Amino acid sequence: MSFSVSLRRWERRSVKLATAVGGVVVLSAVLALADSPASKAATKHIGGSVTVWGEWTGPEQQDFEAAITPFETQTGITVNYAGKPSGTMDTATETAVKGGKPPNVAILPDPGTLRILAAEHALVPVSSIIGKERANFSSAWNTLASVKGKQYGVWFKGANKNTIWYNPAEFAAAGITSTPTTWEQLLADAGTLKSAGIPPFSLCTDVGWPVADLWQNLYLKSAGAADYNKLAVHDLKWTDPTVTTAFNLLAELVGQPSYLLGGTQGALNSTYPGCVDKVFPAPGSQPQAAMVIEADFVVNEINANSSNYTAGTKGTGGATCTTDPSKTPCYDFFPFPYPASDSKYSSALQGAGDVATLLKSTPQSRAFIKYIASPQGAAIWAHLGGFTSPNKAVSLSDYPDPVTRADAKELVDAKSFVFSLDDLQGSWEPDLWADMLSVVKTPTAANIAAVEQTMNAQATTAFGH
Amino acid sequence: MTPRLRLLMTAATPEITRLGGLHRAPGRRRRHLTSLAFLAPAAIWLLVVVVYPSFATIRYSFYNESASRFVGLGNYKAVFSTAAILVAFRNNIIWVLVFPFLVTVIGLMLAVLTERIRWGTAFKTIIVMPVVFSATASALVWRTIFDLDPHVGVVNALEQTVSDFVHPPGAYPVNGYAGQSLAGLASTGVRPDGHGSLVSISTFTAGRTVELGLIGISQQTLALLAARPAGAPTSRPGVIDGLVWRDFSPSHPGSRGHVYPDEDGLPDLQVSLLRTGGSAVATTTTRPDGQFRFANLGPGSFRVRIDSQNFTSSFEGTFWLGSQSVTPTGGLSQTAQALLSVPLIDIAMIVAYLWMWAGFAMVIIAAGLSSLNREVLEAARIDGASEWQVLKRVTTPMLAPVLGVVFVTMVINVLKVFDIVLNMAPGSSQAAASTLAFSMYTHGFEGGIHSGLASAIAVILFASVIPAMAWNLKRIKGQM
Repeated sequence: MSFSVSLRRWERRSVKLATAVGGVVVLSAVLALADSPASKAATKHIGGSVTVWGEWTGPEQQDFEAAITPFETQTGITVNYAGKPSGTMDTATETAVKGGKPPNVAILPDPGTLRILAAEHALVPVSSIIGKERANFSSAWNTLASVKGKQYGVWFKGANKNTIWYNPAEFAAAGITSTPTTWEQLLADAGTLKSAGIPPFSLCTDVGWPVADLWQNLYLKSAGAADYNKLAVHDLKWTDPTVTTAFNLLAELVGQPSYLLGGTQGALNSTYPGCVDKVFPAPGSQPQAAMVIEADFVVNEINANSSNYTAGTKGTGGATCTTDPSKTPCYDFFPFPYPASDSKYSSALQGAGDVATLLKSTPQSRAFIKYIASPQGAAIWAHLGGFTSPNKAVSLSDYPDPVTRADAKELVDAKSFVFSLDDLQGSWEPDLWADMLSVVKTPTAANIAAVEQTMNAQATTAFGH
Repeated sequence: MTPRLRLLMTAATPEITRLGGLHRAPGRRRRHLTSLAFLAPAAIWLLVVVVYPSFATIRYSFYNESASRFVGLGNYKAVFSTAAILVAFRNNIIWVLVFPFLVTVIGLMLAVLTERIRWGTAFKTIIVMPVVFSATASALVWRTIFDLDPHVGVVNALEQTVSDFVHPPGAYPVNGYAGQSLAGLASTGVRPDGHGSLVSISTFTAGRTVELGLIGISQQTLALLAARPAGAPTSRPGVIDGLVWRDFSPSHPGSRGHVYPDEDGLPDLQVSLLRTGGSAVATTTTRPDGQFRFANLGPGSFRVRIDSQNFTSSFEGTFWLGSQSVTPTGGLSQTAQALLSVPLIDIAMIVAYLWMWAGFAMVIIAAGLSSLNREVLEAARIDGASEWQVLKRVTTPMLAPVLGVVFVTMVINVLKVFDIVLNMAPGSSQAAASTLAFSMYTHGFEGGIHSGLASAIAVILFASVIPAMAWNLKRIKGQM
């Protein structure tokens, strides 16, 4: 059973995967990359130490420490990394800043805190420090780490939410040979799956954030990044027609209880990551649904369920994918579809990530930020798996499998990139989640209209306009 | 302590006080200083961790979300105008009305019963055990007990056992709760008859063949029933030969109504032959390849019916952890619904909380019980009072002070109920299960932090605990 206190989505990512990654793999990856040409990025010996706070603990912390080992050996700087429990990084950093004892570097799990800290003049601009490494990131990512034209952070780890994960064997059983690109096609394929007796979707909507992720994808694909960013700061009303359009699209899916595993009631009782297990079960169970709509951190859960899972549409050794997880099961994703009537925002991408910010400028911390902006550390973690980098300079061949490669490619190629809207809402984020769930419960036009009114009032209170 | 000893002490007390008073006159200042020195650490500790935070909370409750701007009573207005917080008020009221009473009654019953049974102490120990468990662990255990999935939740597993016995599910259950419908199952040649069965659209005479297609049937069902590829019915005089098959072919996923080689027959379906008038003439069951046959038929036309018992839905389960109301609130306005509904999760949480606290209530009441004057009880029995009358008319009134303490302690306990909401209610019903303390937590520590609103809730919560506290304090003072 998942311990379901309401942590925020990005803070709740599963960390099961890397338990499988032994120290040998870590070490060999480090050795392999320490000799690579990229390792010339920071060769000057500096010495001393730098304190770094981040939200990676357990296996993720091991991977992160592996990623920064070359930095320590090349510069002689000791990195004192403190992994904060998930959900506490923002508060811990803000408290440390107020208490006057911030770490040198804080790797924040969302840009909201970056904005708050920048407004408090607690952050040091990084553009001049990272210099030409800035070009490793698309302008979409650099803008996301900037406040009033000044860049205050470097994105180290990215998450792609523009994904729907499906069990290829289930698609094959329903005779679906190509993945859908449009929303209409997705719903048609859902109908086909249903005819084949396979519930199409396993939603994770026992809490609000997964449905918020889904809705945000629909809004982004139907209204575009410009409106999305306006709505995120309530410069656009929640009663706007674009909001209604996105809710109506959502209702096309959740308004069909037969498309949801266990119907509406089942969807409202399904927890993340339990919803992933229904599509990609552990050996001993059969999949009960074909698709799960969540970000790429789903992969961690799939691999934790069984090491038999192969990324892509072919099982181990090119065998046919099976539904039986004890044989040759597979997993794959397709990009979140766009409405057929309006494809101009089809390449926009919703995601999340961890951004490294500089709170105390010292030669050591500047060297660290520069290293984080270089592809070297990210490439090491990419090798270890369970990681995608927004850094363009990280070679796609550094990723362990074709699915992660496709996932990372989406992330670096994104023309317009938006951050999870709910995480930027401040005090009314829990209300937003409850409102989203209300639409899953009652996806009628009348309820959508009522929910929009409620949301608009809540956003007005929270933003003061 | 026995009543007699207590009487002795009460009598002695004024004497002691007077003596103390006599001794206090000389060196009073020094004594004062000494006592102050002893008090200081505790007093400073209290000031720092209780008094200061209390006043700071009151102050914050008049400030905006980041405590940077004075907003007057704004937060208090928000508390009473925010639907989600009003729901928390409603739940607190439900808890206070139901829980202290129930736990006191159960505690009393357990105390009276355990006093009379052999192994009473062992029994008591078992009942008290939940008190020592962490509330979080208990809440998580009860969340599992009430889980919707009968493979997980023992309550639903019990319900399923009974339900499957009373209404055995069909081989092809149509589960309305999962969004399935009979119409969704009908694909070729059949339609719902309005009575839970599927009936052929056309009529047939003897010598004809019938092909009826259904969709939405999973591979797992087929495997379970050992289905074989669909057979081809042949026409014979005096016989209606037919097939019911899975009208879905992975090689032709969009095509309906044609029997492809990769389509299976549907075994174990009960099929009836109807006169056009509606009465059933014969009944049979489909074979593993989906074929069925009605022989020795006379003239006239018939319809084929796939009977309703094939589709009896499987066990739905009670969503104990859900937000659906047990009180009828249909037709009310949204606000009235929010205020008058009692969600099922509240009941599940109260049951779990009773399990956690009944032992505590029992111990306190049992202590009171053991100090009762037995002679009064004996006298009542000799006078011919039944055990029930003794309990109702003698024991309970004599225990009233102890019962009062338990009741009021539980009122206070329940006003600040929090951990069980956080850990037992799934996210989708947390809003419906919310209490003031939980609401304070979500506003103060989750998502975007609103310290002003959270502080206002804390102040209101504090104010609502005061009457109960005052009563308890008064009692304690009265005893001293």
